[in-house]
Amino acid sequence: MKLLNSTLFNNTNTNKSIDHDSEEAPQLSRRKFLIGAAKSSLVMAFAPLAMSLSASASQIISDKAFSPSVWFEIKNTGKITVHVARCEMGQHVGTALAQIVAEELGANWDDITVEHASSDPKWGFVMTGGSWSVFQMYKPLSQAGAAGRITLVEAGAKLLGVSPNNCRVENSQVISGSKKISFADIIKKGTFDRTFTPEEMAKLPLKAPDKRNTIGFDRLALDIPPKTNGSAVYGIDVELDGMVYARPVLPPTRYGSKVLKVDDSSAKKVPGYLGYEILKDQSNWIEGWVSVIADTYHGAIKAADALKVSYQAGDSANINEQDIIDEGINLVNQKNAGVLFVNDGDVDKAFKAAASSMSATYITHTAMHFQMEPLNATAEFKEGIWHVHCGNQSHSLTQPAVAKALGVKVEEVMIHQYYLGGGFGRRAYGDYAIPAALTAKQIGKPVKFIFTRADDSKFDQARSASVQKVSGALNKNNELIGYQHYVSAGWPTLAMAPGFMPKALDGKGNFDPFSTSGSDHWYTIANNRVRTINNQVAQKTFNAGWLRSVGPGWISFGAESFIDEVANEINIDPITLRLSLLDGKGKNKGHHPQSVNGAKRLKTVLEHCRKSASWGKSLPKNEGIGIATSFGQEREMPTWIACAAHVKVDPISGEVKVKKITMTLDCGTVVHPDSARAQIEGSILWGVSLALFEGTEIKNGNYVGSNFHNYTPLRMNDMPEMEINFIDSKEFPVGLGEPGVIAVAPAIANAIFKASGVRLRELPMKAEHVREQKAKA
Amino acid sequence: MIEFNLNGKHVRSEAPDDTPLLWVIRDEFGLKGTKFGCGIAMCGACTVHIDNDAVRSCSLPLAMANGKEIKTIEGFENKHPLQKAWVKEQVPQCGYCQSGQIMQAATLLDKNTNPSDDEISAHMSANICRCMAYSRIKKAIKEAAKQSASGVNIFDPSAAEEA
Repeated sequence: MKLLNSTLFNNTNTNKSIDHDSEEAPQLSRRKFLIGAAKSSLVMAFAPLAMSLSASASQIISDKAFSPSVWFEIKNTGKITVHVARCEMGQHVGTALAQIVAEELGANWDDITVEHASSDPKWGFVMTGGSWSVFQMYKPLSQAGAAGRITLVEAGAKLLGVSPNNCRVENSQVISGSKKISFADIIKKGTFDRTFTPEEMAKLPLKAPDKRNTIGFDRLALDIPPKTNGSAVYGIDVELDGMVYARPVLPPTRYGSKVLKVDDSSAKKVPGYLGYEILKDQSNWIEGWVSVIADTYHGAIKAADALKVSYQAGDSANINEQDIIDEGINLVNQKNAGVLFVNDGDVDKAFKAAASSMSATYITHTAMHFQMEPLNATAEFKEGIWHVHCGNQSHSLTQPAVAKALGVKVEEVMIHQYYLGGGFGRRAYGDYAIPAALTAKQIGKPVKFIFTRADDSKFDQARSASVQKVSGALNKNNELIGYQHYVSAGWPTLAMAPGFMPKALDGKGNFDPFSTSGSDHWYTIANNRVRTINNQVAQKTFNAGWLRSVGPGWISFGAESFIDEVANEINIDPITLRLSLLDGKGKNKGHHPQSVNGAKRLKTVLEHCRKSASWGKSLPKNEGIGIATSFGQEREMPTWIACAAHVKVDPISGEVKVKKITMTLDCGTVVHPDSARAQIEGSILWGVSLALFEGTEIKNGNYVGSNFHNYTPLRMNDMPEMEINFIDSKEFPVGLGEPGVIAVAPAIANAIFKASGVRLRELPMKAEHVREQKAKA
Repeated sequence: MIEFNLNGKHVRSEAPDDTPLLWVIRDEFGLKGTKFGCGIAMCGACTVHIDNDAVRSCSLPLAMANGKEIKTIEGFENKHPLQKAWVKEQVPQCGYCQSGQIMQAATLLDKNTNPSDDEISAHMSANICRCMAYSRIKKAIKEAAKQSASGVNIFDPSAAEEA
């Protein structure tokens, strides 16, 4: 498996500037770009260097032999189709990516449509997650659009009998003075056989930001109309000829359970019941699963309820949330637990020399996805290929997982993409396709396999409970001279994509970057150490998952609460303290292109947020404003954010009400402003929801949260007022899908402290926690 | 056998009486716009109209639909002011809950042509949007209310004179 972001991760721990090209998907930088005619279209695509040496561009394109990591075509009608290897799960990513192409191509937006690709090994590594899409695709798509424009100008100029130098492109037309010709006519009349080397692609002239007319402008998102009339097709809407329905009966533990006996005498009374299968997974990803088959889904639900299965349960049957927390507390108090992630200066020396020091432990509880569309997949074996239909965030993780479970080659599995009824990380490793494919295999029929909400919850890949300990050393002038952060949790990447785990700084093993990111802050503190620790009690009990905002979502709760605690301890304004640490020096200088000006940009958003939140204004009793910053989703792709939360804490009940969230962001160039704002609106509310309304616990090896009656994400009546401000920036675009979540929880915790004097160090923050702390004080 | 009116058409189903209406609508009549979310009437993704009331079809046994008028998102035929407002305000993110949100909102506007913020929140808090596009849902409902209000025929003497 090729690592998508290997360059990024390998540089996470160092000050070394990364290569200028590293922001693009690595597989694209080693490819030629081909432009040729095929049937009635002009096709533009990347192809491997080796392939493009042996044949002409038009030959490869008409043979469809290119590797379509990025490609688009213009029909002789003028219709432009941009094929994107990213899924739609609410971000309108297809629209943003198409805008990037349209900008450089000079296309009329009305000519554009987007197609989302199904799996093909030719695509290379495909993953929609990590807030990576625009960040990774901005440069290759801009270059691809520019190459298309140049080719169309050359051909158009020839047809017009003018010099290409005198031509410009606008609204899908090549224009020279009073003469003009449409893309459609150029394609009808011209011939095309053009290849650009990677070097030529890198040198293509791109539009200056002030000349843009598509990037940075709102377009109606292309995926929205079908989502207002019921016509958008999600995985759960797929129907295949001759299919039956199935529902799982899940085992008592996530790992190591074994079916001893199945009694289906009651199930047989359910109309439409067709039988059951004990699933045989050759990869052992799922163990002890029974699939219940019926001719309707209602029949499958009832029959599964009626089935009596006895098991030999796995080892985690008695593990509870507190066991995981206790293990975490134990780990963060061991000096050498885990591996080294950041190690600046001499932390031990700083703490020895300190006039005073302080430390605090922060806990977050298990949190779940609860994406609206319950997990499902429809599978069938046809003409030698296992076809799996489902919405998923990554063909590249899902396809091999299904192949391994079936015991077939990766090429024998084809994943068909649909709209996702929410992803949030749960559909990244598409293991829900495994029981669907196995059922289809074992009964020899196409199967639509749907998890009920309770089944979905039981098979969730929850955000692990976490424990972190942060310590600070102060000199006699109350300057922060030493900082130490230990983070521990179950590691999703260890379970699902171990190839993504880079080596630790001390060489003592690999670590989960997604469960560590967020601890590598941009505050300049000379002596600074981070250790990251896998909680193995969590690891063996459940499949820890990537939940929107992943590590930074809980790690920043610790880091940004602690910095406030320090400010309070030394009696200084928490914004003033942060600003004093954001000097943009040394490793915090940032680098070209994605983090130019480094910590100074975080300082700018913090100053902006201080003003827009009217920091320091007098507030009614029991109210307070708290602040926090974040730089998610990764230090190497920083979206600079400052967040102010205005809360009211009921002095008797302890109930916390968030009145307003004020957020300032700098994410570089904003490609599609309205959907950028939509992502932030949603992620702010995710932040509030995870801080106050969500969270569950592990009981006897399972999540307690099973449905919306006992897992209660924020609803409209809990929505605070939101003020969102984007800094106008022409810098390289970074990510927006997750970063807005991160700073919200610590901002609320800091606001609760301001409003009530109570310091909460546990997520979710509940009224009873406020009351308990008040009683102790 | 159960008979009812579905989006203006008379239909019959021979599914077992206890089958939730949701699965009959989706799998027997092929109208996939109505979604399965929780199965316990807690999320609203499966909301349809039964005799003009918003009902959770995941928890309504087919037998209860006998003789009723049932409308799904498809029954709006893309003509409902809420659908236009949903596009104008760019409401949906993943979109999975939105059929249910629109069906739920429609029953609010049927009874209250000019709902306040609090009235919208009270009515719509029965529906979960996991992407949490709540502020846009609220905005779009207000937009649709505005459009519906302006669509009311008011006698305009000057127009009558011109005619």
